[in-house]
Amino acid sequence: MARASIVGAGMTHFGVHGGVTLPELFADAALDAVDDSGVSLEELDAVYFGNTTGSVSENDSHLSSKVASQLGIAGIPCQRFEDACATSATACKHAVQAIESGRHDVVLVGGAERCTPASGLETPEMTKIFSSASHRQYEQPTGLTFPGLFALLTKRHMHEYGTTEEQLAEVAVKNHYHGSLNPRAHFGKETTVEEVLDSPVIADPFRLMDCCPFSDGASAVIVVSEDAAESYDAEPVDIAGVGHSSGRIPVAEQAALSATAAARRAATEAYEQSAVTPDDVDVVEVHDCFTGAEVLATEAIGLFEDGAGAEAAADGRTRIGGDVPVNPSGGLKAKGHPIGATGTAQLVELTEQLRGDAGRRQVEDATTGVAHNLGGEAATTVVSVVEART
Amino acid sequence: MTADDDTERFTYETWADALREGTLLGHACIDCGSVTATPKSACQECHSRQLEAVELPTEGTVYTETTIGVPPKGFEDGPIQVGVVALGETRLMGRLTGGAAIGDRVVLADVIEHEGMPAAVFDTA
Repeated sequence: MARASIVGAGMTHFGVHGGVTLPELFADAALDAVDDSGVSLEELDAVYFGNTTGSVSENDSHLSSKVASQLGIAGIPCQRFEDACATSATACKHAVQAIESGRHDVVLVGGAERCTPASGLETPEMTKIFSSASHRQYEQPTGLTFPGLFALLTKRHMHEYGTTEEQLAEVAVKNHYHGSLNPRAHFGKETTVEEVLDSPVIADPFRLMDCCPFSDGASAVIVVSEDAAESYDAEPVDIAGVGHSSGRIPVAEQAALSATAAARRAATEAYEQSAVTPDDVDVVEVHDCFTGAEVLATEAIGLFEDGAGAEAAADGRTRIGGDVPVNPSGGLKAKGHPIGATGTAQLVELTEQLRGDAGRRQVEDATTGVAHNLGGEAATTVVSVVEART
Repeated sequence: MTADDDTERFTYETWADALREGTLLGHACIDCGSVTATPKSACQECHSRQLEAVELPTEGTVYTETTIGVPPKGFEDGPIQVGVVALGETRLMGRLTGGAAIGDRVVLADVIEHEGMPAAVFDTA
């Protein structure tokens, strides 16, 4: 039995949206999801909204009621979530719980973020704001950045398992290829291993082309009860399991940095709830903020043995057409990463994949999907299992 | 609890002041013996409140490291090297100098300050 169902999914193009405000940007995705579902705005019982940086980057807080007001909505509970890059996945988890408990029947859940220079802040300022997710006292004073943080995890993986920079580059090449098939992707161009390895070093082993971009964008889904799902226009996709766990901060105190323990706990929980095993999974969206992060994620959610994730990517096993396509959307790497929008954007992609509506990037016969969305130093991770109605 | 009690507690302020003097302080659990490199309010292994400040070794082994080409605003221009150093049974993040790699021995050599907060600098031992 599903915990809840998605009946509508929508997102903006991820890229540069300097000309609209954060509420306007979110409304574009939200109305897309509402129209997809056939739910009317009057039927919404709650709005769960994710945004990570707006309080600091745009001096814009209390955003949940602002985005609802932009949609003409007031008089219902509206709540803002912030869990670093896992922001809208945690928002969705709470929507699922509210539906499951019977508290709400129809919830709009999503996120929006403006991170590009067109939205006001140049890259050095935004890099500093992103680094706020690392420990204020014990990590920020070292000069750690988020590429640096994931480089620390990935260097450890390379040391333990022999993962190479060329294998990491193959992850970028694959995700750029997928992104070239996705009209909403920030980057629509393919790349090569040579281009990746020739790009400037950001935090070794990561070069510019190993890193996701700063993007503007929004995404949203409409979550309802499994039983109610059939009464709306759109083909529902069931949320069979949602696992959510945390890890230690500062990251130095985590047991094994290449293991991303929170993701393992979240995946175990999500698989148990849904009675799905990694072998059953047809399509996956993981949090590839950096190429190395995708490798760690595919191992943590059980798609590959520990240490085998990079080779699997280099062998094409995670490409569309491979054994288990990972990030057919292009992932954060090519689709883009508007922080608070990323978690629900993964669910938008999986909804389209499981409906068979993903166009040129369709994974054939996909009926079971998994989303892996992490925040901060992999110290928040939400893993969701979604299934097509058969 | 009165405000004066804070002077007896092992807090970030105590930790930072000790670091500035060249001493690395950690928290040891009196009940289970586990050690962390930063002060906690309860043991992260057994949740005991019976914790005591302990001096950590100032020499350790690089657990992982990276050279950051683009540091955040407010830091010097890159590249800078940041690493996680194993100090006995716990680990601490710090700045590295001298190009140490994973497995290399390093020693606390200096302290840098950012926005009033110190960070340990480790050099090759």
